[in-house]
Amino acid sequence: MRQINLFKLVLFVALLLVVGITFAKPGDLDRGKEIYDKRCTWCHGDEGDGLGAAEGYVNPPPRDFTSGNYKIKSSGFDEMVPNDDDVYRMIRDGMPGTSMPGWSSLLSEQDMWDLVAYVKMFAEFEEAPEQQVDYGTPVASSAESIAKGKELFEDGDRCVECHGKTGKGDAIKGLKGDASERTWPRNLTKPWTYVGSHDPKDIFARISIGIPGTEMPSFADPKSKKMLSIEERWHVANYVVSLAKTQRVVDAENTVIQADILEGDLPDSPDDERWEQMMPTTFFLVPQIIGKERLFRPSNDTITVRAVYNDKAIAMLMEWDDRTKSIPGDERAEKIADKPIQEDGVAVQLPIEIPDKMVKPYFGMGDATHPVNIWHWKSGTKDMAETVAMANSRGFEDIEARDATESGLQAKGSYHDGTWRVVMVRPLTTADPENDLQFIEGRFIPIAFAAWDGSNNSEKGSRHTMTTWYWLQLKPATSAMPIIMALLIVGLFAGILFWWARSAAANKAVGGDS
Amino acid sequence: MIKKRRIPRLLQLVLIVAGVYFGFILTFDVILGQLIPKSLLTMYMFFVITGVLMVFTFTEESTRELIDPIKALVEDPSKKVLRNIVFVIVPLLAGIYTYSSLLPSFEAPVELRTIHPAPPSKMKAYGKRFDLATLENPYRKYEKEDPDKFRELVREGGDVYIKGCQYCHGDKLDGKGPYAAGLNPTPLNFQDVGTIAQLQESYIFWRIATGGPGLPAEAAPWISSMPIWEDFLSEDETWKVILFLYDYTGHQPRSWEHE
Repeated sequence: MRQINLFKLVLFVALLLVVGITFAKPGDLDRGKEIYDKRCTWCHGDEGDGLGAAEGYVNPPPRDFTSGNYKIKSSGFDEMVPNDDDVYRMIRDGMPGTSMPGWSSLLSEQDMWDLVAYVKMFAEFEEAPEQQVDYGTPVASSAESIAKGKELFEDGDRCVECHGKTGKGDAIKGLKGDASERTWPRNLTKPWTYVGSHDPKDIFARISIGIPGTEMPSFADPKSKKMLSIEERWHVANYVVSLAKTQRVVDAENTVIQADILEGDLPDSPDDERWEQMMPTTFFLVPQIIGKERLFRPSNDTITVRAVYNDKAIAMLMEWDDRTKSIPGDERAEKIADKPIQEDGVAVQLPIEIPDKMVKPYFGMGDATHPVNIWHWKSGTKDMAETVAMANSRGFEDIEARDATESGLQAKGSYHDGTWRVVMVRPLTTADPENDLQFIEGRFIPIAFAAWDGSNNSEKGSRHTMTTWYWLQLKPATSAMPIIMALLIVGLFAGILFWWARSAAANKAVGGDS
Repeated sequence: MIKKRRIPRLLQLVLIVAGVYFGFILTFDVILGQLIPKSLLTMYMFFVITGVLMVFTFTEESTRELIDPIKALVEDPSKKVLRNIVFVIVPLLAGIYTYSSLLPSFEAPVELRTIHPAPPSKMKAYGKRFDLATLENPYRKYEKEDPDKFRELVREGGDVYIKGCQYCHGDKLDGKGPYAAGLNPTPLNFQDVGTIAQLQESYIFWRIATGGPGLPAEAAPWISSMPIWEDFLSEDETWKVILFLYDYTGHQPRSWEHE
């Protein structure tokens, strides 16, 4: 009797759950519209056509739901309709590397299902998709699987054609999206920019069905010459996951570039192998949207810096991914990039004086009372070699060009497989301390960076990406001072205590006698 | 009479000081997630220790109770083993402290700044002078007088927000826009009850119109990435975007009337 009751209870609860799930899922169109009009319309537009107020201001552009193209989905490759779950996931988790945030912090699950229903309506999707991605038996990542994946990735230019030899998306052809917007292949070494997550299963889905509305094709399509079997696709997914460059991930806690001291000559070439031994520090680059002519659609998001010094000079290596080597006038460069292309570039910004207190120059090119010193390297054009210029500025408007050679500033860049590496070298001290920062060992020196991608909407002048102030420290050589002082203190303490105990004992002895 | 066993005075003192210290760490670093700067903690602890010592040495008897165990440790022959241990540990601790404080620091300097500095009484923007004490949002009145017009104004403010502000303050107004992670200080979270809900609309107007460079020195204007919006937005647009901030988050601006 009791058991039957228990069974009934379990059945009832299970039934409730099933009912709960099935009833929670179908979204309410009217409620969906209400939420959409408050939260989504700003970017995606009242009509779901991607023509909200943000149009032209965000990159990639907001999705046009009326097109029916869903980039990130798990239904079959020849199927337009996404699974409800695909749409739900995008709303809940957002899309990394885009302006789409995850909404779960603000909306309830039901709210998000209501939105799924409403958003699908723009493309008149009613039926669930018939075909699904066949995940087969997942292949766990292993050295062997990664090696197989690499071979397939490179074989017949299968993936290399767009994603480049090292996966940084350094394309050899110009790509377009369904809104005829310029698109760039994913830089696969930056997992935080994967729009549809960096999970191997999600990567498998992208490889299998492609990314609708872009030139990323399906590799499950039997009509494709580059088709891959399920197992092969797992190998490629495992290889793609292995491409993440963990050394170049931003660590928010690490805001100091540590320059080690070196005996002998500094590495003055970007390809010097000794750079590999220096500690890299990576910072976020943000577009310049603060003053003058602004940049709203940047192509790059990080810069990695290493520094080293000797008794005479300091050398810094700036490293950043750029899908194009923008050399104006160069045939190959002009074929890939949208004209007009400008030179690529990078700049270092330093205060003229190391601040004693908290006060620093304004991070956007200094201010009237606190000027900054800027070192600006440019990649050169077809007819002109790379250059490095120097300027001191007191704000955007007050820029004074200076002679870089007088301060002994030198720079050299090299471009390989989607990455620029630029070295800048300057003597620690110069003859003009009024206008040049004098580097001092051990001090925390504010430093900021800027970068230009000449192939991305013609970045030039104030249209660039930049960092806020971070720190540079010339790490002092290790000295024996701390250990000597520590030993002295130990001796002193031990002496005092010993003396105290001895004199106490002596007193006691005297007291006892009397 | 039953003699109550109580904790020795010296141990009490140590426990109280340690309790306060770990209390600070627990409240700020762990619960609130706001690292408390070392210099500030040192200063607080100095006052705490001074205060506790004053209480514990208030009478001669209490002073003796405090000092006796220490004296006993040094002088009492029966405590020889403990004494030897203490005599090794104390100099070692002093040595370690000296060593670590003399080692060059690779930690970035801590920068303290005021997040909501006191506003000036008057400000200049759009070629005019504004008295912040009396300045009001000219559109606020429509909230009651003409709700349809108000909705339209909020909508226009939203367009301004999405074109200008979401990059940093976010589509959800939570301070987590796509570029927020690259900025220091991080953009303000308007959903938080400690931000716009605590401020008057005139304050927000001042912050938008004059931006980061318009901040007083205690708020470190040189690192704020807030643009000077009077360069890009009209006075009207600024008031409308303020309407949007309150409408979207559901907060109410503070006003003189309610206080």
